This record gives sequence, C-alpha cells and structure tokens, in this order.
Amino acid sequence: MAEPTVRLSGIVFSSLAFQHVNRDSDVEGLILGESKFEEQVTISDSQADHIHIEEIYNIQKHISCLKLNDFYNSVGDVNVAAVNKILADNKQENVIGWYKQRRNSDQQMTFREKVVHEKLKASLSNPHMIFVLLTPSRLTPTGSTHKMEYAAFISRSRHFVNVPVLVNNLGVLEQLAYWKASAPCSSAGYHRTMNTHSSKFFSSNGLLREVNDVNSMNDSLQLELQKASRKLVESERLVETLQTDISVLRRKLSEKKKSEAGKGGPVDQRDQVLHEAFRSLLCCRLFHTHTLTLEAFPVPGFSEQDGAPETASPLRPGKRPKETLVGTDRKRRRSQPSE
Amino acid sequence: MNNMSPEVTLHRISPELRPLLSSVVRNGRVGLDSTNCLRVTDLKTGCTSLTPGPCCDRFKLHIPYAGETLKWDIIFNAQYPELPPDFIFGEDAEFLPEPSELPHLVQWDSGDPECLLQLVKELLQQYHHYQCQRLRESSRLLFEYDSLLEDPNYGRNMEIYAGRKNSWTGEFSARFLLKLPGDFSNIPVYLLKDTAVDPGEDVALLSVSFEDAEATQVFPKLYLSPSIEHALGGSSALHIPAFPSGGCLIDYVPQVCQLLNNKVQYVIQGYHKRREYIAAFLSHFGMGVVEYDAEGFTKLTLLLMWKDFCFLVHVDLPLYFPRDQPTLTFQSVYHFTSSGQLYSQVQKSYPYSPRWDGNEMAKRAKAYFKSFIPQFQEGAFANGKL
Repeated sequence: MAEPTVRLSGIVFSSLAFQHVNRDSDVEGLILGESKFEEQVTISDSQADHIHIEEIYNIQKHISCLKLNDFYNSVGDVNVAAVNKILADNKQENVIGWYKQRRNSDQQMTFREKVVHEKLKASLSNPHMIFVLLTPSRLTPTGSTHKMEYAAFISRSRHFVNVPVLVNNLGVLEQLAYWKASAPCSSAGYHRTMNTHSSKFFSSNGLLREVNDVNSMNDSLQLELQKASRKLVESERLVETLQTDISVLRRKLSEKKKSEAGKGGPVDQRDQVLHEAFRSLLCCRLFHTHTLTLEAFPVPGFSEQDGAPETASPLRPGKRPKETLVGTDRKRRRSQPSE
Repeated sequence: MNNMSPEVTLHRISPELRPLLSSVVRNGRVGLDSTNCLRVTDLKTGCTSLTPGPCCDRFKLHIPYAGETLKWDIIFNAQYPELPPDFIFGEDAEFLPEPSELPHLVQWDSGDPECLLQLVKELLQQYHHYQCQRLRESSRLLFEYDSLLEDPNYGRNMEIYAGRKNSWTGEFSARFLLKLPGDFSNIPVYLLKDTAVDPGEDVALLSVSFEDAEATQVFPKLYLSPSIEHALGGSSALHIPAFPSGGCLIDYVPQVCQLLNNKVQYVIQGYHKRREYIAAFLSHFGMGVVEYDAEGFTKLTLLLMWKDFCFLVHVDLPLYFPRDQPTLTFQSVYHFTSSGQLYSQVQKSYPYSPRWDGNEMAKRAKAYFKSFIPQFQEGAFANGKL
C-alpha cells in the first residue's frame, strides 16, 4: 500500500501564508509540482524483504484564483476552461492538486471541497491529486496570537485521508537511505547550470560515465564467455559422436562373435588345426631365440622362452611389440614413452 | 456553547447575510421535533481582524434530529455574499449528499431569505436517507424500519439515527423517532405565561433506542409538546409500557398510540364534563355563584345562606373528573382560626357517582349542603372565633 507524503519548501509555504494574510476573505487556487512513486525495500529482523511504495507529492508552485468559486459552480462542477485560464502559461499536467485557505474554521474538508476535488480529478484525468487546507485562526481572545494549521488530503475510494505534510527548509533531514533521484527544483538558473556541466559527468542517456565503461567491460566479458561456451559445446558433441561410433563397433563385433560361435563348421576346425600347428611351432625350442656363443653353439640353460617376446595382437591395439635384437646379448633398452 | 439569542446573532452577522439567517433563527423549524427553532452558535468571520464589523459569515447550526442534535458548520464569505454556503457535517464525515438533488443549492438565490432554510431542509432529507442506509448493518433493525415504512401512519413521520456505537459495549445502535398520529385539536387551550412565545404544533413523539443490533436492550420514551403534557397532567401522567422482549415496533407503536389517544380523549371528555358540571351549578345556584374558572372549568365558588348563616363553598374539580370526585371546601364568612384564616372544612367524601350527569350532581350537591351545613355551623362556632 502506498504511503503518501506531501512535501513543500519553506518558501512556497510562506508564500501561501503570506498571500492569505493579505486577503480579506478565504483564498483558493491550484498547486503545481510533481508526483512520483518510489519503491522502498527495507530489511528487518522480522522480515527479510519488505517492499513498500512511497507516494511523494512535491509542491513547487501555487497559483491563486482571483475570486472564490472561480473554476467551479455551486454544485462543484469544474470548468476546465477556467482552470486553463488560471494556469495561463503553465502546463495542465503540472497540476497536482488545489488548495484552500479558510479562516476560523475546522481542519476538515467541507462538502463542496470534497465534490470539487473528485470532479477536478476526473476533469484533469489525474487520479492522484491532493488538496491542501490551511486554516488560520485566532488563538487568544485578544487576537494577539494566531495559529496557522495546515493539512493535505487525498481521496481513496471517495474516502478522504489526511496526509502528512513536510516542509523542507534546509533539506530533508530525515533522509537516511541513498538518494535515488536528485531533489526536484523548478528554478531556471538551476536547470541552466545543470545543462552546462552535466555533460562532464553524465552521458547522453543520463547515466554516469563510469557506469557506461563498466557496462562495456561487462559486455566484453560476456562475449568471451560465449566463445568459450561454444568451443566446449563443439568438443562435447565430438566426444559424443566418437562414443556412439565405438558403441556401434562393439555391438557389431559381439554380434559377429555370437554368429560365428553358433555356426561351428569345417572352416572353424581348419582354423583350430592351423592354430594348434602354429602353437606347436612357436613353442618349439628350435624356433626360439637362442643365445649363442661365438662358436655358434647355444648357451645351455638360457633361452628367450622364459622371456618370450610379446606379440602384437589385434585385440590389444596400440601396444607395440617390444623390440629385441636376435643373436645379441645386448641389454634390452628401455622403450621410449609413447606420445 | 455560547448560546445567543436570535437578536444577538443577527446583530453580529454580516448585513448581506442577515436576511438568510433571520428566517433560520426566527422561523426555522425542521424535522419532527419542531417545538424549538434552529439554534446558532460559534459565530466567526472569514475576514481579517482589521475588518470592521459586523462581518461574521460562518457559524454552527444546531439541528434537532431523531433525539440527537446535529452540529453543522455553515460557511459563507462576507466578501462574496452572493455565493452559496458550504457545509461541514460535524462528526458525520462520511455523509456526502448528491449536490444535484439539492434544488436550492443548484439554484441558489442569495436574495431569497428562505433559501438557506430550504437548503437545510433538503440536506436533512438526504441525511435521513443516509442514516437509513446505515441500518443495513443490522438486519434486525432494517426489518424494524421496513415494517414501519409500510405503514402510512408512521412511515412518513420517522427519523432514524443509526450506526452510533454504544459507548459502553461498542455495539451498533440506533434510535427511531416517530411522530404519533393523533387528533389533539380538542385539547383545552393551553394558557401560556408568555403569550409571545409560540408553543408550536401539538405533537407527540415516541423515541425508541436500540442499544444493540439484536434488539435485546430497547428503551422507549414518550415526548409531548407542552400543551399536551399540561393537558394530561404533567410529564409523569402518562406511563407507556416497556418494550416487550422479542417484540417489534410495528406492534408496539400502535399500542402506545392507542394509549395516548385514549388518555387524550379522556381528558377532553373530562373538560367537557367539567364544563357541564359548572353550567349545571350556575343553573342551580344562580346568584349564589361568586366566581368560577371560565377557561379550564376547574374551580367554582358559591356564597350560600342557611338560616341566616352565610358560608362559602369552594368546589375544586380534579383533572380526571368525573372519575375523581370534586373536593368541597366549606368556609365560614364570620369565623377565623387561630392563624387568622377563615374557618373551613374540606369534604372529599360525600354522595357522588361519576355516572351522574351535571344536573344530577348539582341537585345532589345541593341536598348534601343542606344536610352538612348544621354540622359545619356548629363546628365554626365551636372552633372559630369571630
């Protein structure tokens, strides 16, 4: 739920009061300024994330009517043409409400003020408007002391709610959080100064220059990350493909083995015999490598059978047979590490 | 609350606004309780203190309504007297009438002295509708209102003050103020000490307060205009019955109405009976009548003689004659008591019947005088001194 606040500078407030003191009747007029909604996030022990919306009405200027009931009639119907006439060169969208100064009366909205307020909201198509009421009155019977009470009202579902009014003198002293926006000011000189010097600090989009640099760096980092991500994706896809191929080949091999084991015919037997023949041959000591003497006689009790060289097998790809020198008694060299 | 007389009020108000306020303070009677005019207090000004007076242009108007007093602020502007007034409706901040339904506001005429008074009446009508709407908070009370509304005797003369929280229990409460229908035109003329004061219309108002929404605590009270109250014998003469538990207004109000009308008729008849009685005595005693009450017919004095013995007879007729017997006071014209008063004897018991007509009562009284006087004479001689 929005918490509304009305803020006006001491200058505007004193101008309002001064105007009424110098008029011999009640006074009313229009209020110009700006209204804004700010989201405030507060963290407390009981609640980690409390969001509330602040509705702030900044009163910057007032325009008084030359006479009472100037822009409305006896039943509160608003005359927009009369409002525009009162505004003169000011823009209608700057109107954020209206005010009334009533001497010696209660600090309550009257019947017609409520009606006019609702109709003014409708006529100016602004659902967020305020009504400021100032009621000066005599405090002592002799008239030596007078008091000026002031209040602001907004309407919510045709119910009128009293809104706190803060008069800024030397700044808003209760501000504790970071400033998210600059203080509003309608002074022409202020705007001229800002226009002259703001380009040194702000870029064309209104942000501080450093903010733009950091944003650029952030963008570059994002690009690099994206490149690395693409490479990773590609390599992962390649690995996936190879693994798929391996799986296919293994499946084919196992299928092939199964089909050969199931058949068992003369081809298999011949292969078995051949296999046995080669085994016998290779196991024969005569075909083993011998260590010979210089007279070409084998050295007894020393053969390579015990350390028969490993043969490359198609089942163990990648392993190369150890290199040995036949007929030499050189020590085996340590094989070089494969790349 | 700094009550002011109408003259003081009009003296302090801004001259341009004086005619408007004059009709309010002098002729302003609104609502059911119109025995008193509207009252104005807290006169203030919207001008600076340097403005020479009289320049008051805003005040509080006290309006009787449903047994309450509404205090509405009415705000004019002395510098712009042609502008219509503005209003603050006191504690009823939620009351917001529709301006287009206030003809005297739409066509405000500052030159018409009755304009403000008429506008106040129109606002009061709207206020009545607003209060009736608030009865929707309690179905029980809404039923009471709807049932009374259907009866033309009461529906058109009803004021309701609703939504008031009981200060003790915090419960929703309401008050109904009804004007009881009745013919009071034959009530004897009420003699006022100050004939310049208009006692107003003869009216009987029944106020029924519901202190809770379920109608378990109901307090009725009857208010009578001065003439009716005097005619009935004072504020304590008529006791209305208590509101029956579980009862409803549509049954109770006619009961009270009947009781009141019966009482009034009885009093009217009593007045005629007294007049008849006095007329009969005038006829029977002729020159012997010294004086009698020619308006209320409540007193009669006779100067009689029996065997050269003169005596006075004072006859006092009570309010509820003939039900109540007249009092006879015999007074000697010769003898005094020790305190210097004329010797007298009061007789309240003598042959009497309320069913006799005036002529018969006069004859019987005459016969009684003849029988009692010897005894009175003896007493006067014995106890009085010449």
